[in-house]
Amino acid sequence: MASVKRLKRVAASQPGFIGFKQSEDLNSGRRKRVNKNKKKNWNKHSDIQDVEEFLDDVRLQERAAGGLISERTDESLFFWDIGEPKRKIQPEVQQDHKGKKSKSRPLRIDLILQHDSLVPPPKDILAHQQPNAKKLRRIAEKAAKLASLGVVTRRQKRLLNRRPARATVPKAETDANNFPERPFYDLWGEGAKETADPYFLEQTGKKLVKRPEKLNAKPSVLPAVEIIAPGGSYNPDFFSHQALLLEAHEVEVKKEKAVLRVERQLAVNREDIATEETVFQEQVEGLVEEDDEEYESEEPGGVSTRGSLPQEKKTEKERKRERADKLKLQKKQAAQVFTSRKQQLFQLRSIQAALKKDEQQTAERVTQRKAKQEAEKSMPRRLGRLKFQAQDLEVQLSDEIPGSLRTLKPEGSVLKDRFKSMQKRNMIEPRERAKFKRRHKLKYVEKRAFKEIT
Amino acid sequence: MGGLQKKKYERGSATNYITRNKARKKLQLSLADFRRLCILKGIYPHEPKHKKKVNKGSTAPRTFYLLKDIRFLLHEPIVRKFREYKVFVRKLRKAYGKAEWTGVERLRDNKPGYKLDHIIKERYPTFVDALRDIDDALSMCFLFSTFARTGKCHVQTITLCRRLSVEWMNYIIASRSLKKVFLSIKGIYYQAEVLGQVITWLVPYQFAHDHPTDVDYRVMATFTEMYTTLLGFVNFRLYQTLNLVYPPKLDSKAESELKAEHEADYAMDSESYLEKLSALSASLARVVATAEEEENQMDQFPTEGEDQENLEAREKEQKEQEAHKRLFEGLKFFLNREVPRESLAFILRCFGAEVSWDQSLCIGGTYDVTDESITHQIVDRPNMDKQYINRYYIQPQWVFDTVNAKMLLPVEDYFIGVTLPPHLSPFVEEKDGDYVPPEKLKLMALQRGEKPGQDDEEDDDDDDDDDEEEEEEEDDDDGDDDELTEERNLKKMENQRAQGKTLAVKVTPGKVRPWETGSVGNRVRLEQEEKAEEKRLAIMMMKKKEKYLYDKIMFGKKRTVREANKLTAKRKAHEDASKAEKKAKKQ
Repeated sequence: MASVKRLKRVAASQPGFIGFKQSEDLNSGRRKRVNKNKKKNWNKHSDIQDVEEFLDDVRLQERAAGGLISERTDESLFFWDIGEPKRKIQPEVQQDHKGKKSKSRPLRIDLILQHDSLVPPPKDILAHQQPNAKKLRRIAEKAAKLASLGVVTRRQKRLLNRRPARATVPKAETDANNFPERPFYDLWGEGAKETADPYFLEQTGKKLVKRPEKLNAKPSVLPAVEIIAPGGSYNPDFFSHQALLLEAHEVEVKKEKAVLRVERQLAVNREDIATEETVFQEQVEGLVEEDDEEYESEEPGGVSTRGSLPQEKKTEKERKRERADKLKLQKKQAAQVFTSRKQQLFQLRSIQAALKKDEQQTAERVTQRKAKQEAEKSMPRRLGRLKFQAQDLEVQLSDEIPGSLRTLKPEGSVLKDRFKSMQKRNMIEPRERAKFKRRHKLKYVEKRAFKEIT
Repeated sequence: MGGLQKKKYERGSATNYITRNKARKKLQLSLADFRRLCILKGIYPHEPKHKKKVNKGSTAPRTFYLLKDIRFLLHEPIVRKFREYKVFVRKLRKAYGKAEWTGVERLRDNKPGYKLDHIIKERYPTFVDALRDIDDALSMCFLFSTFARTGKCHVQTITLCRRLSVEWMNYIIASRSLKKVFLSIKGIYYQAEVLGQVITWLVPYQFAHDHPTDVDYRVMATFTEMYTTLLGFVNFRLYQTLNLVYPPKLDSKAESELKAEHEADYAMDSESYLEKLSALSASLARVVATAEEEENQMDQFPTEGEDQENLEAREKEQKEQEAHKRLFEGLKFFLNREVPRESLAFILRCFGAEVSWDQSLCIGGTYDVTDESITHQIVDRPNMDKQYINRYYIQPQWVFDTVNAKMLLPVEDYFIGVTLPPHLSPFVEEKDGDYVPPEKLKLMALQRGEKPGQDDEEDDDDDDDDDEEEEEEEDDDDGDDDELTEERNLKKMENQRAQGKTLAVKVTPGKVRPWETGSVGNRVRLEQEEKAEEKRLAIMMMKKKEKYLYDKIMFGKKRTVREANKLTAKRKAHEDASKAEKKAKKQ
C-alpha cells in the first residue's frame, strides 16, 4: 500500500508524465463522509482507482515499450517521414521460397503463446538461496570433523547393522509355469531319505499325503491317441476310403433319421385340420336338432341303481352254505396239491431239465453282463447335464482327395480332436459354452435427433 | 422293534459321492479353479452306478465326484496358492482403480505362482509311468506349438511348447527310435519306441488352424500347463539316458558349420538358437564325447530247443530293427521349398540321412542344391526345369512309405509327375483271412526280397490275386482245413512263381501223394501232412460242446475269408473298369 502511494506521489510530482489512457478527473463527485479513525474504513472507502489505473498503465508501458515512454528520448519515439523506402526484394526469389515459407511459418497458436512482454521474468531468488543453509552447513562440518576423528555415530551404526535388502529379482517371471526358459531337473532321481516320522511330516505339512492307488487308474481304456482309419490317409487305398465313406454315410443317415422322426412327431394330423365341412358344422352347432338326442334320452332310463341300494342282510342259511362251500374248496385245493406233489416224483427228469435250462440262462446272462461291462469301459460315461457327442468323422470325398501332399487340405481340427478325445476318455465332462444372458431387458429409448427424422 | 428309524441317503453310495458344486464349496474355490485343480491332480468325475440313490431320489443329471477324492484334494498345497492368487487379483484391481502405480508394481513383483513338480512326482511315481502317459502330452505340446501368437493362449506357453517339442524331436533323432509315420487328412501320426514303450503322437499340419469355437481353451491350457511340466522332466531324463547335454546344445562342429553370415535376418539372437535346434539338421552335443554309440551285443545264453528258436527269432528281429534304424544312412537329401520341411527333415534325420534345404527356406541348411553328392531331391511339383542327372527327383510320399516298409522302396513309382501309389496306414495289422489291398501284398512280397515282374508289373500282380482267390475258394471247398494261414498262401504263391506259374494243383491234405520219400522238400511235406492229420484227429476227438465252439470259430474265419474274396473281386472289377476307361480315353 505504501509503495503504491509513493508511486502515486512520484507520478504526480513528475511534470511531463503522459499516460497511455486519458484518465478522468480524480476528484469528481461528492465525497462520502466516513470515519477515518479505523483502518477498516480506510481500506474500504479510500478511492484507489486512480492509482490502480496509473499502475496498470505503467505496467503496460513497461510490457509493451520496455520502459516508461516519458523517459524515452525523442529519437526513439519519432522518425522522419520521408516517403516509402525502395523495395529491393526480387519477386522471383519470393516465388521460389513460397513453398518453404509456408512450411516454416510458425503456427498462429504458437505466436499467441509466445512471450511478448519486454519485461524480463523475475529472478528466482531460491535458486541461489538454500533453506536452512546455515544449519546444514554446521551439521556437515560436524560430520566431517567426526569422520576425521574416526567416530561412527549411532545413526550410522544402525544403518550399517541393518541387513541388506534382498535383491529384488523379477520373481514373477521365473516363477510362472509357462516361463519358456524354465529349467528342469531329474525329478525321479534319488532324493534324500527322510528319517523323520512320516506321520509327523504329513501332519505338519512337510510331506504330501500319499496318493491313493485308485486314483492312478485311468477312467477309460481307450488309447490317448486314436489313429484314424486307413481310409483317412491323404492318398488312401480305394477300398479303405470307401469303407470310411460308408461309415460316415451311416452316421449321416442316423442323424437324418433322428431329424425325420422329430418332424414326423411334430407333424399335424390330417384329420385335425379343419375342412369346410367341419367349419360349417361348428358354426351350426346346436342350431339344428339332431336325431341323436333321442337315443341319448332313452339311455338314462336303463341305468341301474344297483350301487346305491343298501345290501340286504344275509340269512343264517346263506351263511351256513357259504361256510360249507369254503371248506369244500379248501379241501379240494389241498388234495390237488397232494396229487401234484405225487406226480412230481415222476416228473423229476423234466424238472431237472428245467433247472438246467434256468442255470444256463443265468450263466448266459452273466456272460452278457460281463461283456457289456467290458464294452462300457471304453464308452463315454454320462458325467454331467450333457451327453457326449462324438466329433464329426473326418472324411474327404472322392473328388476332394489331393493328388499330392502339396495340395492337401487338412480336414477337421486337431485341437477339437484332442478336446473330444478327453471327453471321450471321461477326463472332462461335456459342457457347452456359457450363454450370455441379460438380466434385465434392454430399454429402448428413441433419441430426439433420431425422432425428428422419422 | 427298538432302535432309531433308518434315514434315507445317510449311508451307502449316497455318502460316497459328492456333487461338483458341493465339492467346490468344500474346497472354497471358484468353479474355474476347481476344474483346474482337478485336471492338474488327475481327479476325474465319476458316474455312479445308481444315480437316483446318489442324487437323493432325484434323477437330474449331475456331475459327481468321489468324496474320498475330494478329501484328498483338501491336502493339496496348490489350493492355497489358488486362493492367494484370487486375493492377488482383487488387490491388483483395487490398486489399479485407485491409480496407485507403485502399489501395482509391488503387487506384480510379488505375484503368487505355483509349481507342478510335486504333482508330477505324485502322479507318476516312476519314470516309466510318466513315459507311458506321454502320448497326450506330446500331442498337446505339438498342437500348441503350432498356434499363432494371436492371444488365444499365452505367448509364453506357445514358446515353451515349441521348445519342448523340438527337444523331443531331437531326442527321437538322436536315439533313432521312430517306427511308423502316417500322413492322414487330420495330421501326421508318428509312432516311436522309447525305452520299450510304444509312443504315438499326432502333429497337425502347419498353418492348418481355424480355431474352433466349441473348444474350452481354458481347459486345454490347463492340460497343457501340466503336460509341459511332465514333458520337460521326461525330456531331461531321456537326454540323460543318451548322455546328451540338457538343455540341448548343438555339436560344436555343427555349430560352426551352421554359422551363417546373415543370421540376423532369420531371427533375433535370443531365438536363433532355438531355430537352429528346430532345424533338426545338426547333431547334439554329448556330455561325454564319444565317437559313435558302440554296437550293443545281445547277451548270449546257452539254450536248447524252443528257447533256441525264440532266441534266434529275437536276434533276427533285433537285426531287422538295427537295419531299419540305418535305413537312410549314407543318403543325401535336398528338400525343395514346397515340401513340408520339418516333418521330412525329422523323419530323414531319424534314419540317418543328411538333409539340407534352400537357404531362404529356413536356417540350418548345410549344403546347396548344386552339391553334386546329393542322392535324392524331394520335389512336390509337376515338373522341374533344371535337373541334375546324378540324383533322383522323388515325391515326398516315398520317404513316408519307405519308413513304413522298413526298406528302400523302388523310386520309379514316386518320380515327378507320376501318379502315386496309395499311402497305406502302417497302423493296420491284418489278421488271417482279412482283406489285404494288393498294394500291400506287393509291398510284403518286396519285403521278403522278391522282385516284382519287369515290365508288366500290374498284370503280374493281377494274376497273383487271381491265384490267391482260387486258392481261397479251394479252402472254402475243403471245409475244415482253414488252418492255412495267409502266410502259407503267400508261400504257395512264391512256390508257384518259382515253378513258372503253370502249376495249378489242388492242395488237399490227407491224400496219398505219389512223391518219393527222401528228398528235403518231401520231408517237409510229410511233416505238414502229419500235422494236419493230427489236427483232424484232434477235431474228431473233441467234445460236443468244444466241437460246437470250434465250428463257430471256423465259420467266422470262413466268413472273413469270403468277405475278403468279395472285396478282392470288387477291386479287380474296379481296376478293370478303370483300365477300360483309360483305354477309351487313349483312343
